[in-house]
Amino acid sequence: MSIEISGVNKTFGDFVALQDINLTVPTGGLTALLGPSGGGKTTLLRIIAGLESPDSGSVVIEGTDATKLPVQKRNVGFVFQHYAAFKHMTVVRNIAFGLEIRKRPPAEINQKVTELLELVHLTQFAHRLPAQLSGGQRQRMALARALAIEPSVLLLDEPFGALDAKVRKELRDWLRRLHDEMNVTTVFVTHDQEEALEVADSIVVVNEGRIEQIGSPDDLYDKPASDFVFGFLGPTTRLNGQLVRPHDIEVYRDPVPNAVAGWITKWTRIGYEVRLEVQLEGDPTNDIEPVSVFLTRTEAASLDLRDGDRVWLVAHAAVPVAAR
Amino acid sequence: MTRKSVTVAPVTIALRVFAIAYLFLLVAWPVALVVSNTFENGLTALEGVFGDPDLRSALRLTLTAAVVATVINTLFGVSISLLLVRTEFRGKRLLNALLDLPLSVSPIVVGLALVLVYGGRNGWAGPWLEDHGLQVIFATPGIILATAFVSLPLVIREVVPVLREIGIEQEQAAQSLGANGWQTFWLITLPAIKWAVVYGVVLTLARSVGEFGAVKVVSGNILGETRTATLAVEEKYLNFDPEAAYALSFLLGSVSVLSIVIVAVLRARSARH
Repeated sequence: MSIEISGVNKTFGDFVALQDINLTVPTGGLTALLGPSGGGKTTLLRIIAGLESPDSGSVVIEGTDATKLPVQKRNVGFVFQHYAAFKHMTVVRNIAFGLEIRKRPPAEINQKVTELLELVHLTQFAHRLPAQLSGGQRQRMALARALAIEPSVLLLDEPFGALDAKVRKELRDWLRRLHDEMNVTTVFVTHDQEEALEVADSIVVVNEGRIEQIGSPDDLYDKPASDFVFGFLGPTTRLNGQLVRPHDIEVYRDPVPNAVAGWITKWTRIGYEVRLEVQLEGDPTNDIEPVSVFLTRTEAASLDLRDGDRVWLVAHAAVPVAAR
Repeated sequence: MTRKSVTVAPVTIALRVFAIAYLFLLVAWPVALVVSNTFENGLTALEGVFGDPDLRSALRLTLTAAVVATVINTLFGVSISLLLVRTEFRGKRLLNALLDLPLSVSPIVVGLALVLVYGGRNGWAGPWLEDHGLQVIFATPGIILATAFVSLPLVIREVVPVLREIGIEQEQAAQSLGANGWQTFWLITLPAIKWAVVYGVVLTLARSVGEFGAVKVVSGNILGETRTATLAVEEKYLNFDPEAAYALSFLLGSVSVLSIVIVAVLRARSARH
């Protein structure tokens, strides 16, 4: 096992950032630390890197107790949200930095940097300064710089958080492919559930300084361990007092068994999707909140749904939530 | 290129006239008079200054004190700036306030305070130091101390905001790539604060060259030994040798003007990068 974290606690003054964290990250995997901001996921990543030290507990990286090792000695690659590019150095010098510190022979450094430039598609920008690169290019440079030292683990702190949506999507796919090629144990922090579900092999949901659940993207989505995980991984709504996904609700124009009746109070079309708000009649649980229902445009059109229509709702694939 | 005609409000015009008149009467005209008085008889006044061994030694002493004080304040200033920005400790705000003291306290008070500590006869540490062969007051070390005191915050005030602005991530990235503290400072931090340090050095040098009050108290004003250029200006002026006083003033003023020009050029250049 590549990273073993046991009994880690961390406080900043009165604020409890992490509470009794136990986590094992498998070698060669791509793991996401997912959670809302302020939940402790970045602190956990920084503790793995050695940029923060835990108040108690231990961090073992590839069999070596790293708890007391300074960041310089841990051989981890760290990628920052805002790139942390060395502004006064060209792309080549940035990437070569770790190797030059390690006093590798110039020929070896040259070869390695050339390879990495190709890997991150920055060969033609080799002699530019970071200020002359786009955000996406800067982050690829930062990634190459971190990979140059052949780290035992690669740690990325919200690596695509500062980029616009399109570039973020591209880099996400590219990171996945890069990881499959290089096979270096990778942990990345994100607050974007879609990013975690799409890229990671396994996801660690961190909230309020604790781990809520660890599992594969499918596990988390299909068998969420708590309402929090269920809610964090996608939109939710309440039907018959049960938490369900708005797109897991079936809509009928006529009464069917186990259905609840209501009126459409809001009808919104967003691209291919139609979002309804349905106010239930004689709501048994006396919920004031209307139920959200997401349909595809085709479904909505075939039912000919309009604002103010009367409909019957059934939750069709009730997701079992373990700990209520 | 077409120029748009912009109507300027009368208030704006009045403000401009006022600002220009104020600067002219307070700064430009008096300084210009020093220059014109210096060159009234061609180069004879300047030749007179450089021909007088006492004045040469005064200029040399000023230069020595200014350079040494600047070196000390640069090393100290950069270290203190790192301490203030990169670490947390008790009494940080007190230290921060204390660092502004040299700019707000009258230099003459600084001089007296130094005499109280380092004075050879009655000072707190002076007699002990003199027993061990180091005379501070009425000697070059005292002049350097006084000069360093008055110009102490200049490097710090330039470097601190830049250190804040560049943040800590580049340094942490360097450390994660294996750089130790010294390598991180030398390869990452120093290049990033380079221009701020240069401004600080230039300002410190300009301030140090012109110091008068504190130096007057601690130097003893001994001709050819502890008389600095600013003290010599006063002496020449009081002893009816205004030509030499103007020429020395011109030299001291030139250093300041040159410093301002250097800073202006450097600022423009670093703004471009």
